[in-house]
Amino acid sequence: MKRRNFLKGILATSFTVISTASVLTPLTALAKIGAKNRDDWLTTGSHFGAFKMKRKNGVIDQVKPFDLDKYPTDMINGIKGLVYNPSRIRYPMVRLDFLLKGHKSDTSQRGDFRFVRVTWDQALTLFKQSLDEIQTNYGPSGLHAGQTGWRATGQLHSCTSHMQRAVGMHGNFVKKIGDYSTGAGQTILPYVLGSTEVYAQGTSWPLILDNAKTIVLWANDPYKNLQVGWNAETHESFEYLAQLKEKVKKGEIRVISIDPVASKTQEYLGCEKIYVNPQTDVALMLAIAYELYTNDLHDKDFIKGYSLGFERFVPYLTGEEDGIAKTVEWAEKITAVPADVIKELAKTMVAGRTQLLMGWCIQRQQHGEQPYWMAAVLATMIGQIGLPGGGISYGHHYSGIGVPSSGAAAPGAFPRNVDEGQKPIFDSTDFKGASSTIPVARWIDAILEPGKVIDANGAKVTYPDIKMMIFSGNNPWNHHQDRNRMKKEFHKLECVVSIDINWTATCRFSDIVLPACTTMERNDIDIYGSYANRGLLAMQKMVEPLFDSLSDYEIFTRFAKVLGKEKEYTRGMNEFDWLTKLYNDCKKANDGKFVMPEFEQFWQDGYVHFGEGKPWTRHAAFREDPEINPLGTPSGMIEIHSRKIERYQYDDCKGHPTWMEKSERSHGGPGSDKHPIWMQSCHPDKRLHSQMCESKEYRDTYTVQDREPVYLNPADAKHRGIKNGDVVRVFNDRGQLLAGAVVSANFPKGVIRIHEGAWYGPVGDDGSITGGAKVGAICSYGDPNTLTQDIGSSKLAQACSAYTCLVDYEKFSGKLPPVTSFQGPLEIGA
Amino acid sequence: MSQVSQESQARAIVYNFLSSLFAKEVTSDLVAQLTSDQGQSFLNSLALEPSLSASVNEINAKLGKLNSKELLLELAADFCGLFLVDGRTSVSPYAGQYLSAELGGEPSDKLSNAARNESGSKRKTNKTQLFGELHQQMTEFLTDNKLQIHSDFPEPGDHIAVILAYIAHLCVTSGSEQQLSFINSYLMTWLSDFTQQVNKHDHGLFYCFVADLTLEWLKVDTEFLLND
Amino acid sequence: MKWFKNLWQTLNTPAKYLTLGSISLTAFIMGVMFWGGFNTALEATNTEEFCIGCHSMESKPYQELQKTVHWSNHSGVRATCPDCHVPHSWGRKIARKMEASSDVWGWVFNTVNTSEKFEDKRLEMASREWARFERDDSLACKNCHNYDSMKWDTMSKLAQKQMKRAAEKDQSCVDCHKGIAHILPDMGTARAPQLIAEVGTGPSKFTNEQYYFSALTKPLFFSAKGDVEAGTLNVATKVKILESKENRVKVSISGWRKQIGAGRVIYYDFGINMLTAQLSKEAAKTEGVINGFEEKEDEMTGLKWQRVETTLWTDAEYLITEQQPLWDYARTTFRSSCSVCHTQPDEAHFDANTWPGMFQGMIAFVNMDQDTQALVQKYLQQHSSTFVKKEH
Repeated sequence: MKRRNFLKGILATSFTVISTASVLTPLTALAKIGAKNRDDWLTTGSHFGAFKMKRKNGVIDQVKPFDLDKYPTDMINGIKGLVYNPSRIRYPMVRLDFLLKGHKSDTSQRGDFRFVRVTWDQALTLFKQSLDEIQTNYGPSGLHAGQTGWRATGQLHSCTSHMQRAVGMHGNFVKKIGDYSTGAGQTILPYVLGSTEVYAQGTSWPLILDNAKTIVLWANDPYKNLQVGWNAETHESFEYLAQLKEKVKKGEIRVISIDPVASKTQEYLGCEKIYVNPQTDVALMLAIAYELYTNDLHDKDFIKGYSLGFERFVPYLTGEEDGIAKTVEWAEKITAVPADVIKELAKTMVAGRTQLLMGWCIQRQQHGEQPYWMAAVLATMIGQIGLPGGGISYGHHYSGIGVPSSGAAAPGAFPRNVDEGQKPIFDSTDFKGASSTIPVARWIDAILEPGKVIDANGAKVTYPDIKMMIFSGNNPWNHHQDRNRMKKEFHKLECVVSIDINWTATCRFSDIVLPACTTMERNDIDIYGSYANRGLLAMQKMVEPLFDSLSDYEIFTRFAKVLGKEKEYTRGMNEFDWLTKLYNDCKKANDGKFVMPEFEQFWQDGYVHFGEGKPWTRHAAFREDPEINPLGTPSGMIEIHSRKIERYQYDDCKGHPTWMEKSERSHGGPGSDKHPIWMQSCHPDKRLHSQMCESKEYRDTYTVQDREPVYLNPADAKHRGIKNGDVVRVFNDRGQLLAGAVVSANFPKGVIRIHEGAWYGPVGDDGSITGGAKVGAICSYGDPNTLTQDIGSSKLAQACSAYTCLVDYEKFSGKLPPVTSFQGPLEIGA
Repeated sequence: MSQVSQESQARAIVYNFLSSLFAKEVTSDLVAQLTSDQGQSFLNSLALEPSLSASVNEINAKLGKLNSKELLLELAADFCGLFLVDGRTSVSPYAGQYLSAELGGEPSDKLSNAARNESGSKRKTNKTQLFGELHQQMTEFLTDNKLQIHSDFPEPGDHIAVILAYIAHLCVTSGSEQQLSFINSYLMTWLSDFTQQVNKHDHGLFYCFVADLTLEWLKVDTEFLLND
Repeated sequence: MKWFKNLWQTLNTPAKYLTLGSISLTAFIMGVMFWGGFNTALEATNTEEFCIGCHSMESKPYQELQKTVHWSNHSGVRATCPDCHVPHSWGRKIARKMEASSDVWGWVFNTVNTSEKFEDKRLEMASREWARFERDDSLACKNCHNYDSMKWDTMSKLAQKQMKRAAEKDQSCVDCHKGIAHILPDMGTARAPQLIAEVGTGPSKFTNEQYYFSALTKPLFFSAKGDVEAGTLNVATKVKILESKENRVKVSISGWRKQIGAGRVIYYDFGINMLTAQLSKEAAKTEGVINGFEEKEDEMTGLKWQRVETTLWTDAEYLITEQQPLWDYARTTFRSSCSVCHTQPDEAHFDANTWPGMFQGMIAFVNMDQDTQALVQKYLQQHSSTFVKKEH
């Protein structure tokens, strides 16, 4: 009875003002439904594959591969886990101390501190004010918005394009050159073969399969890496790999894989394997060259007609130059490849048509330029460059390179640059004597030592004094090396802005965090088949953006509005206007060559197919007439010796390919007495770099005790008392991480593998999350870049050298801390 | 009959009040309202119920001190860290995160299970996807009642604020039995767990008291419904 | 008017009957005809008399044809109207007949019944035919000329290069070979139309001893009249005009060449791989075509270079007075096309000899025709660190 009274009291207070602010409202029209019934199968695409989705009560229910993808990967099973991830960034948020104190905030709190929700207007205004402050106080050299990396697929909503166009309307900023994947390769090869090679279409698989007698897979795992592509992947390459497998089985093609580990491709093809000590490939190549040269097996006519500088290289090969003949016996000591195996390999390479297929791993190390250069020299000596099934490729493991291009024109994209004739609000181009472009992997160096002058690719680079960075769909706390070094330097930044779908480590280390929606929550357009350009894919919005997230287009349209430049930004067009324009421009470019229906029909169908292209041989035109079709090298020929590089006088990249000892090398190399294990941090098997790592249910299919797997050699593991399923602490002087042991004979003694892209989640020694912000904190999940070296490959490329990395490991015996990688900002307590 | 109806209206107000505290941050407007005469008399009425008085008084005391923008921001940061992000020190406001295991969401392998048992609460590491079955069920309930979630509140249907607001709606539209059945199935199944989590992680304490108040209120109200 | 009635019936026959199985070309030539009246009607429309009977062609296209190699040649094989204008396969033939209904319309309503009207409509009609050729992959051409049976040996290297590139893509013949059977309509240009729209086709009269710039990659000839190509002039290249004769101008081209091969590639300057012109082997061998001057060794490569000048003829079109519009167009294209995947590097980030390698290594996802590619590459080289001093 008393209770009834107090209830009456409540009513008597007429406290209805508050109570009316209910989160519920009367049902109006049913949720907006597009022209197409939303419960039909809709089409979209991703790096993992093109796929179809079906909705149930407004939520993505089923995902299945696109009809034309005959070799889909199971990574599309992780798609729902990306969209409905508990770690979605749900609202625009600002770090509390930054909100209160702006550019004078306590930046050491980054990575473990408190955020507050703000409205989009507040967030974007704050974003603009920060930019104002930077441009006013420091000019364009204070701002680095030149991010690198992948993105979600789609030509309209491409995250970097939007961010850089919008920020470019405000002012100028520091940019990057190169990328983490192929930094050394794409820098050295233009000097040698006259093109980056790594991103160029390669000889078509059908020609390789028809003509090659031997295929050498050098540090190359296409069966793993072809699962993902730059555009909507449709996995055409796998058909050719299947044919290759058949040919290997029938003995029609010999495939020899040279690799320290037994790769997924080796296992699939059932091919021959040659073990080589990590980082010693150049020594092996030199010995093969020595063998060819001393036995007069090299193609002298080809060398004479198509290359320059062989005579400058030979004295080095024979030892005339440095007193060391690069004999098979010399190489055996370094590489652990037996002398007779090297001899046999040399003979095999010239015994018939031999196609060299190089992977990217061996250039992602100190002196990473050398193995790529030396491999080109080897291919020149073999003399089959420009022949079908012969010569050398640096890309057949990437985005369908080798699948004949359809020849269709691909759609353009939303413009990344500010339109011609428009000036940014802050139009200063005064970088205060510093460089406006820096090598991509050297930005932490710049924060560490602003004003320092370094050598890079024949020029001098002066580091700018970076005070603010912007990351959109970009996670440098994954792709950069040496976390603890990053931690030491990152707090010098006054302001960090991050735009993403889920809370990455980069978001946690930011001041302003903005929620973007996933590709499933927006409309877009893309090609499928990447380099093959098999067709055009409609990326149809499945659900409305979750929470308060927005598409990249919408985020930066609103930002442009804050700048007073909305019209300039959008050119007065909305999302569908742009899609129609991109489609129609593409249709026009293909007019008379490929039949494309009207946009509406295309959107209804979900795709337009361009079909298969015609086989093509890389460098064939050069071989046919090197005068009319010269390479893009200084001489137009293959440069075995480069006078241009020689003139730079770099001690770590000389005039011809050279074997150089590394700062750290396993198997008896420098540092191996202290940390005897080489850590391989190659591209993951179950992710696209760090994308998809956060998808919980899918991650659970491969983690060990919730940790990223570390692949261990059985003898090494046994020696350390570790068995399958244990948690392992991997460490060196740079850092430490926890990972889950997978003991496998695929990994030789002295070698472990942790796939890059494992999300960073530091914790304190006591398992506390606040402790994770400390320099040296252990990574609870297993990010290998906690351990890698942040050094340039050489003065030439200044590229990422993650593969020059020694570690040791032990069984983890402490109290197992929780995984902290997949969550928002960490500690609530003040 | 009209007596019951008035009671129901009062109960609805309480549910909506609690819902709004979980829906968004405390604003200076809300502080002004709650510290006004009307607001005070509302809170005092609630405090008449002995089991509620402790938390109501604590909330009242906290409100009285919220006299600066900075303090409101601190409270907003508490709210954000607790309910707007996912993390080990956050508290999921979604029923699905607590009930999914029972609804069939199964962990993947034994090793993972072992890790969970070692590293503490199984529930904490076994995060399931948002917008799951409970979201779908709630959406269906709302649609059946000609209701939808306000577009300014872009959250899944199994958010605690939605569930509380829906109960407020049931208070004035359906019978005790129906109300009780919904509350027991969709709120009481996880509310104490939720409250426990808030108490563990909310160092500012305001939301501890809000969560306590919610749990205590539900205990009182379900008892009332049972005896009605 | 009986044919008209037949045709009308044909056109009105429901599509489902018309699409019945496609009879192979072989079967068609062997005279295996199943379809009675329908087929007869089609055949009746496939003779020249039939075409010129109604197409009011006697005065114009038919007479133009008679002046070309398709009418009179060594082989004695003559191409007649239907050989090119009626597709030689069934499915397409039917489709073409459907399309022809607009010709019938034109005849009935005298759309093109005067020479003036014909000229006015020439581009429109030609465009329709070209589009059809492209759709058909120039099947009509390939019935007589196919890539496989071409006499590659007798072609010049340049022709081979272009033809092989076309063969690789199975390119439609009329992409390049327009105006081979009739007078070419007055039109902008089929090559790089956006570029030409931007920079224009150049003046109609030229001043001797003045400098002009090529707006496209242009063929060079030995003489003012002959068809013998002596090479190609690269896009955006500066030339001096020496004299004009009818539709040709004599140009002086200067630059440097590498002393390798036949030395037939002329570059912009000593040691700089910016393409100016490529001459045919024949031209390079012909006394007096290339005049060589001083020689220097390039320290960067060890290659010997020689300063050269050559004087050759080219068509009096696509030679413009200023270079800047070409650079403006190239800059815009570079900035939009090369930022689809990544941020485009600054022009001055690389030197003139590094750009070709960077550019060629990155164009997989870029849509540029060959002229535009050549132009953008040259733009990048011309604005590289070699010429624009700027720290990077």
